[in-house]
Amino acid sequence: MPDVSLRGLSKHYGSIKAADNLSLDVRDGEYLCLLGPTGAGKTTALRLVSGLIRPDSGKVFLNGRDVTRLEPEERKAVLLSQTYSLFPQLTVAENILFGPDIKGASEEAKERLLADMLDLVRLTKRPDALPRELSGGMQQRTALARALASGADVLLLDEPLRALDARLRISLRHELRSLAKSLNITTIHVTHDQDEALVMADRIAVIRNGSVLQVGTPGEVFDEPISPFVANFVGQSNFVVGRLVKKGAFSEVRCENDMVIQARGCDCHEGQEVVVGVKVGNTEIIREGEGFFAGRIERVLFEGRNIYLDLDAGPMGPFSAKVPSWRLGKLNVGDTVQIRWSADKANVFPMPDIGLKEELRVE
Amino acid sequence: MYSVTKESENLPSGVDRFISAISRRGFRRGWTGFIILFFLGFVVIPTVFILTYIFTDWSGIQTKVLSDSVLTGQIVDSIVASFEIAGIVTVIDFLVGLPMAWIMVRKEFPGKRYIDTLIDMPLAVPTAALGFSSAIFFAVTKPGLTSPLGLGLVSSPFLLIILLHVVFSYPYMVRSLSAILEQIDVTYETAGRTLGAARFTAARTITLPLFRAGLVTGIILCFARSLSETGGTVIALASMRSANGFNTGPTLINFLKGQYGSGDANALPALAFVSILLIIAALVLLVVLKVVVMKVRLPAGKVWPKWERILSRGWVPKSKDGISIAFLVIFVLLPAFFIFTYVFTATSGGAGSWNLFYESLGISFLVAGVVTVVDLLLGIPLALYIARGGKARIPAALDVLVNVPLIVPTAALGFSLGFFWVGPKPATGGIALVLVIFAHIAFTYPLVVRNVAGAVEEIDPAFEETARTLGAKPVQAFRRVLYPMIKSSILAGSIMAFTRSLGETGATLAVANVNTAPVYIVNLIKNPPFDYYTAAVACIVLIFVSYIFMLALRFVTRKRRAA
Repeated sequence: MPDVSLRGLSKHYGSIKAADNLSLDVRDGEYLCLLGPTGAGKTTALRLVSGLIRPDSGKVFLNGRDVTRLEPEERKAVLLSQTYSLFPQLTVAENILFGPDIKGASEEAKERLLADMLDLVRLTKRPDALPRELSGGMQQRTALARALASGADVLLLDEPLRALDARLRISLRHELRSLAKSLNITTIHVTHDQDEALVMADRIAVIRNGSVLQVGTPGEVFDEPISPFVANFVGQSNFVVGRLVKKGAFSEVRCENDMVIQARGCDCHEGQEVVVGVKVGNTEIIREGEGFFAGRIERVLFEGRNIYLDLDAGPMGPFSAKVPSWRLGKLNVGDTVQIRWSADKANVFPMPDIGLKEELRVE
Repeated sequence: MYSVTKESENLPSGVDRFISAISRRGFRRGWTGFIILFFLGFVVIPTVFILTYIFTDWSGIQTKVLSDSVLTGQIVDSIVASFEIAGIVTVIDFLVGLPMAWIMVRKEFPGKRYIDTLIDMPLAVPTAALGFSSAIFFAVTKPGLTSPLGLGLVSSPFLLIILLHVVFSYPYMVRSLSAILEQIDVTYETAGRTLGAARFTAARTITLPLFRAGLVTGIILCFARSLSETGGTVIALASMRSANGFNTGPTLINFLKGQYGSGDANALPALAFVSILLIIAALVLLVVLKVVVMKVRLPAGKVWPKWERILSRGWVPKSKDGISIAFLVIFVLLPAFFIFTYVFTATSGGAGSWNLFYESLGISFLVAGVVTVVDLLLGIPLALYIARGGKARIPAALDVLVNVPLIVPTAALGFSLGFFWVGPKPATGGIALVLVIFAHIAFTYPLVVRNVAGAVEEIDPAFEETARTLGAKPVQAFRRVLYPMIKSSILAGSIMAFTRSLGETGATLAVANVNTAPVYIVNLIKNPPFDYYTAAVACIVLIFVSYIFMLALRFVTRKRRAA
């Protein structure tokens, strides 16, 4: 029932376009991650949904109702800021009951609700604690309980895991998602961390320069990016520029130095200038046999589970690859190796109008 | 899903309906507009309104003032004296205030807490009382006004006024400097010292350049206070055996006002002219000081290792601390509280009436109370608007304008404000009281706005925003979330406004004939038949009353720091 729909939202600050004809549909009960680099307009999008700012043009629908002109308190969309904004002078219980208090709920109803909420977020032992006495994880759960207790239909999370240390951040990903899913609450989660988005989201919306580039399941966005930018931002990619010479189930692309590489089928026409993108993790490094081209290992980074390689592929430019760590010691700086990939792992994009370098720029 | 039945939705109470009404966007816009209009129309414009006199009666200024070389000379002398005094006082404050701030922030020693309280003590004493007290301590006084314990050394009015102004401006300098020193991380200096710098070198080249912001605040506060002070200065000059017709800008306004009141119509252009010069000079000075202190480079690059090493060890730093504390005692505390000795040695009796004094005290409290309430009601909204307005043009402009009534000397402010509301003729009766209240609002309003805006700027707007998305209307978000966080700053601002209003003389004298307590004391000392004894006791009563408020202020701000 509570779905969110943004229709052609624009918001300008001077010459900066914080939202540029932004449209997005979030389904009822869905956990959607809004993923984008810093300054892409993620937070602006959240603030537009919550009503803290008003768009210059466009409309916001919550639950099918046009709420564009409504005040934040009339929307039932709760914002959780990066630091949770627990009210420091109120206890956990008072924080949780802030919303019901404002609405004048009866003591009895509040008591019941508080018990439910504390139970839900496993804080039954700490109702009288002040926020600063709680750990980061507990603070987050309190903020969540407070949002739920206010009767929110939509949860707006602004980088909710950012303030936590790395290990806790990873363990809380699962917890946060399953809580939201078990309550069937519609959630928009803003993040710049692609790993977080891939693990947590039902669907990911990639945003850049104030507009949504692509919406899809984590698998779709990762495997079938619609542009070089998405290919690179969601899982790093290598890029090769060339001309499409053969269309079909597989494409063939001739690069500047006449090398021919293979990739998936595409909608581009023969002779068109194209960009082939292949994920770092799908780039294969072989010591013997035939690859597309050769490269020289410039740097070897041991990452634990994987080894990260930087290669110099001569006229093809710099390349990167991720290989399993059992190959450590078999691949050394200075070795010349062959680079290849399976054709169905590489995507073909038309050459962006603004040029490849500008397309890939992360502000 | 979890949601609560909203009983209030079915039965909207009066309060709820009121909250809903004032939460409407239209109402909020109108309210903001009203606040800005109030600020401009009741505070800023009246403060500088007298500047229009240049256009409306320039011929008057020309024929009555500029053509009279004696009068012109008197005016120029008084304003030059005001600025010289303010400049010298500020330099002295800085030179002795800096080591003191250092001691208070960077050193731990038994009894530090008491010294901390002692530094603030002169703030608790209304300047009228300070003027009386300092004059008896330092100056060669009139017959009948001597204390056997007084020094009786100073016969130059210029010097006496400098000594007096140091007494009440010194705490401002120490407070501003130590506030900023507390913010500066001591590890910078430690790093400098581990890199081989002597203690003095490290302090001079690393910490001192970080001081600018605090320095600007301290210098502007001291300068403005010295430039503005009227009551204490009038009393000190009146207590001297011979003041040789010496005047500062504000005392000249006071003198000319008296002339005009007794029927000398020629005094009006002169009054306007002095006020205009004072206002313009003060505003220019504010800008110049800001630019100079921020732009001029301290010689932080050069190092003289040998000499600075000597300055860093042994008797030099120790005697520096000793001298700082001796200065505090001899030049600040003793003159401030010397009046207590006078009461015990002087004989009682005179023309002063206690009933009149109590009545004046009542008027003072009435004025200060009304002023504080108005400041709060209309100052907090403006502070919120300024603090939450970000870099938008209007809030940023208001942020600058708020400083204007702080820097304009209150005597000029009072005269200008009276001129704005009722014209040149002094108001009488009920209107006079209203005008005094307006004048006191003008110079205390910025104190509340500054305090509250400063506190709000420290608080992440996400708190209120989150409260809004949780269902709170703007008023409720303020009341339940923001207000508890800034409560102590609101209280601090209102106590400052109250005490400043209670101790003010210059603005009151310039705007209308209303007998507030400080004005009553000034009259006892200045006009025959003199009654020094009653004046002294009245001063002490005023000191006690203000001191109680001062203690409250310290209690409140202490709690804020702990939170």
